[in-house]
Amino acid sequence: MAEPIIEVSDLVKHYPLTRGVLFRKQVGAVRAVDGVDFHLGRGETLGIVGESGCGKSTVAKMLVNLERPTAGSIRYKGEDITRLSGRALKAVRRNIQMVFQDPYTSLNPRMTVGDIIGEPYDIHPEVAPKGDRRRRVQDLLDVVGLDPEYINRYPHQFSGGQRQRIGIARGLALRPEVIVADEPVSALDVSVQAQVINLMDRLQREFELSCVFIAHDLSIVRHISDRVGVMYLGRIVETGTDTEIYEHPTHPYTQALLSAVPVPDPEAREHRERIILSGDVPSPTNIPSGCRFRTRCWKARERCAREVPALAVPAWFRTGGGPAAHDSACHFAADGSIGRSAPGQVVPLEGHGGGPG
Amino acid sequence: MSDRHYEPEPALAATAVGGTVDLGVEEAETPKKRPAGPDGPAPQDRPRSLWSDAWRDLRRNPVFIVSGLVILFLVLIALWPSAIASRSPLDCDLSKAQEGSQAGHPFGFDGQGCDVYTRTVHGARTSVAVGVLATLGVAVLGSVLGALAGFFGGIWDSILSRITDVFFAIPVVLGGLVLLSVITSDTVWPVIGFIVLLGWPQLSRIARGAVITAKQHDYVQAARALGASNSRLMLRHIAPNAVAPVIVVATISLGTYIALEATLSYLGVGLKPPSVSWGIDISAASPYVRNAPHALLWPSGALAITVLAFIMLGDAVRDALDPKLR
Amino acid sequence: MLLEVRDLHVEFRTRDGVARAVNGVSYGVDEGETLAVLGESGSGKSVTAQAIMGILDVPPGRITGGEVVFQGRDLLKLKEDERRKVRGAEMSMIFQDALSSLNPVLSVGDQLGEMFTVHRGMSRKDARAKAVELMDRVRIPAARERVKQYPHQFSGGMRQRVMIAMALALEPALIIADEPTTALDVTVQAQVMELLAELRREYRMGLILITHDLGVVADVADRIAVMYAGRIVESAPVHDIYKAPAHPYTRGLLDSVPRLDLKGRELYAIKGLPPNLTHIPPGCAFHPRCPLARDVCRTDEPPLHEVADTRGSACHFWRECLNG
Repeated sequence: MAEPIIEVSDLVKHYPLTRGVLFRKQVGAVRAVDGVDFHLGRGETLGIVGESGCGKSTVAKMLVNLERPTAGSIRYKGEDITRLSGRALKAVRRNIQMVFQDPYTSLNPRMTVGDIIGEPYDIHPEVAPKGDRRRRVQDLLDVVGLDPEYINRYPHQFSGGQRQRIGIARGLALRPEVIVADEPVSALDVSVQAQVINLMDRLQREFELSCVFIAHDLSIVRHISDRVGVMYLGRIVETGTDTEIYEHPTHPYTQALLSAVPVPDPEAREHRERIILSGDVPSPTNIPSGCRFRTRCWKARERCAREVPALAVPAWFRTGGGPAAHDSACHFAADGSIGRSAPGQVVPLEGHGGGPG
Repeated sequence: MSDRHYEPEPALAATAVGGTVDLGVEEAETPKKRPAGPDGPAPQDRPRSLWSDAWRDLRRNPVFIVSGLVILFLVLIALWPSAIASRSPLDCDLSKAQEGSQAGHPFGFDGQGCDVYTRTVHGARTSVAVGVLATLGVAVLGSVLGALAGFFGGIWDSILSRITDVFFAIPVVLGGLVLLSVITSDTVWPVIGFIVLLGWPQLSRIARGAVITAKQHDYVQAARALGASNSRLMLRHIAPNAVAPVIVVATISLGTYIALEATLSYLGVGLKPPSVSWGIDISAASPYVRNAPHALLWPSGALAITVLAFIMLGDAVRDALDPKLR
Repeated sequence: MLLEVRDLHVEFRTRDGVARAVNGVSYGVDEGETLAVLGESGSGKSVTAQAIMGILDVPPGRITGGEVVFQGRDLLKLKEDERRKVRGAEMSMIFQDALSSLNPVLSVGDQLGEMFTVHRGMSRKDARAKAVELMDRVRIPAARERVKQYPHQFSGGMRQRVMIAMALALEPALIIADEPTTALDVTVQAQVMELLAELRREYRMGLILITHDLGVVADVADRIAVMYAGRIVESAPVHDIYKAPAHPYTRGLLDSVPRLDLKGRELYAIKGLPPNLTHIPPGCAFHPRCPLARDVCRTDEPPLHEVADTRGSACHFWRECLNG
């Protein structure tokens, strides 16, 4: 295992729900992120997958200090960065940069490409002397596959894929060690997605970046990640190497998620066993007791409502080792290797289905 | 909480570089752009910004041209009224009271025997001064307070919102009658002050909303993630993207402020003689409207055209600044 | 053939000139068949559907040629009020964004019931009962209680079910689903696609599924029409196309999907960008991005060559492409 550059432990973000105008009273909380642990090795790419509302974007924002966690810590090279401010925060920000999802809103429409990519140097003037900036910006444009002559153009003159390249160039300007990419290709056309994925892959190797890659597209995450974490309702429910997660998922949610992904192979559709989950993800304001997945899980038993399963290697896999022996937050974790013992469709115990989302 | 799942199809206002541009490495062979909209097209071909686009639209808009010319004319006579009306507006001859149009006095005379043409021309100065100064005051006060509330949010935002609610509850005319009747001054300043006092909450709401919208854009987050200071975020990223609605509302309000000044003067609490203002003249002419309708007609006509011109200008600017209308 | 589109042309007037959104599209759907129309943004797939439904925004859009033959009648020649009778009753549409397609101030039951009061002249009470029945049929739990609720009280997946119920209400012969699951999460998407497939079998409807997702297509479609720059570039039964695409664009799309055995290597990427519809390249519209392009591609627009019995490819070099 590579030496961790980022360690996240017990990260929590609750957004209070308030009532009243002048005298606010808290009536509840949206538990967007509710106890997340992971680490990111140097030079490693960690993929985080999950459906909308699972809290993956909130995790990204906390990693780059755009949101302050309610509790927990994020250690960058051993130092907790969640309580920093002023100069210390600014120094950390140099090293952890973000690539945003939507290339249409992440670039200021009133700034030229040169201003956008050069802004990091305005904010951190110590990185590049003034006279050198134009050349550096042009180098960056070249690195991300755009013509350096574009420096005086405005964002709206570019297509989505090109804008995402500009966003990536801005993220690289300060030579950060960590890049957090939040759904960087989901707003792009299919034929352009591959271009941007290849670019990110190449830059990661070239600049020796450590990456947190957040997406809902499982196949893209698999392609780019060394390790994968699966999030559900504010928690990581399973984590492991890509082979462990994709070929030997032990958490029922991961199994359902993988089986639900449409595979571009019509031959597979007849003999493929699918787990169709009933119902919707419960609201993060009202998280089920015990295991948060139990309301949609076909394996749920009484114990699941009482005990919160810990994210750890299940005891029964611990001795044997093998690819099923990875962290999984399920009381009844079982190797659901795709194609081997795919679980059939079972009706969940408690029909939470159709609750207002 | 914002795990939005964009998909490539819908109206991400897709535009790209035009035919003159050679593209980057992998994209080098299609110097053409992608269209916008749900399969719909809205491509662009050369460098543009919101402002240059807006200006292009405005120049082709007859509403803008007409209102712009009217306003230009108004501003000119407000600055140099004597250029077209050499007499003094206070040079009156009671013996000619209520007389109609005659040589050298195309608009006739009012109840005091003053030349209506001269007074209408000179009245423009007051109207334009009140309109412009009040708008400036409202815009500066309203947008600064609104922007700060929108940017910092929290308790400051709550306090400001409650204050604006209170001001919205004040009936303008009644408030004017009460407040201005206790002030005695020959200048336009009390009226301007009153308008600013009652006008800023509207603009602060607009500015607050615009700042909140602009603040949520990812490019503001991106700058914040780079370590940008608040003042940098505000001046470089938020303000330029939030200023358009403020300008639009301010332009439209300018017309209504001029009308408000006339209303207050008509009610006797705005400007008072010997000041020259359309409101005063309308007020003075109304008792004998049957005998000398011209004395009422000319100042109120000038007022109506002016107000209309500013409102039309504001409308045209709003349309031009709204990319969705293109 | 239930529906046959022949040589359809649609243009949009924009300030930058005429955008040719649909340039001679022909496809057909049989009863009980699922046709997937695959394409990226700007390919004209949604515009074609809007033209079929008669909900194209005119202006700026304009149908400049072609026929839409539905149950033996050319819809484009019908008067608007006749057209309205077809819409909803005989063909209906499901949109991507269920939230904005439902009226937020009317209860779900009222909106479903409206279909029956307006088209069938039922009483409000009967219509309400029908609405409950429909919601049951699209497997919305507790339909009797939820019929009184408003769209915002439903989750995304449930709203899409309401949309499907509405499309099904009058038992149309054809349903057009425009990216029906794109806004939904994977697990919910699977539920909705399953439901659609089931209902289609049950009612023996024709289904046109418009999507950009190769996975969804492989899961449910019988035939595929691939669109690029307002043209059909390849049309084939679903099994054939995934086994061996006969157009380089289709091949590129299939190859750019991340695959297990290629992990760690570069993904295949189609170079360049989709064309601007106001300046579609001459000849084959795909030639600037095509690895097989030769001189003839820059000048001659390829016709839809017959590759096999029910299969066509608009590529001069389809044989080469077919053989990899």
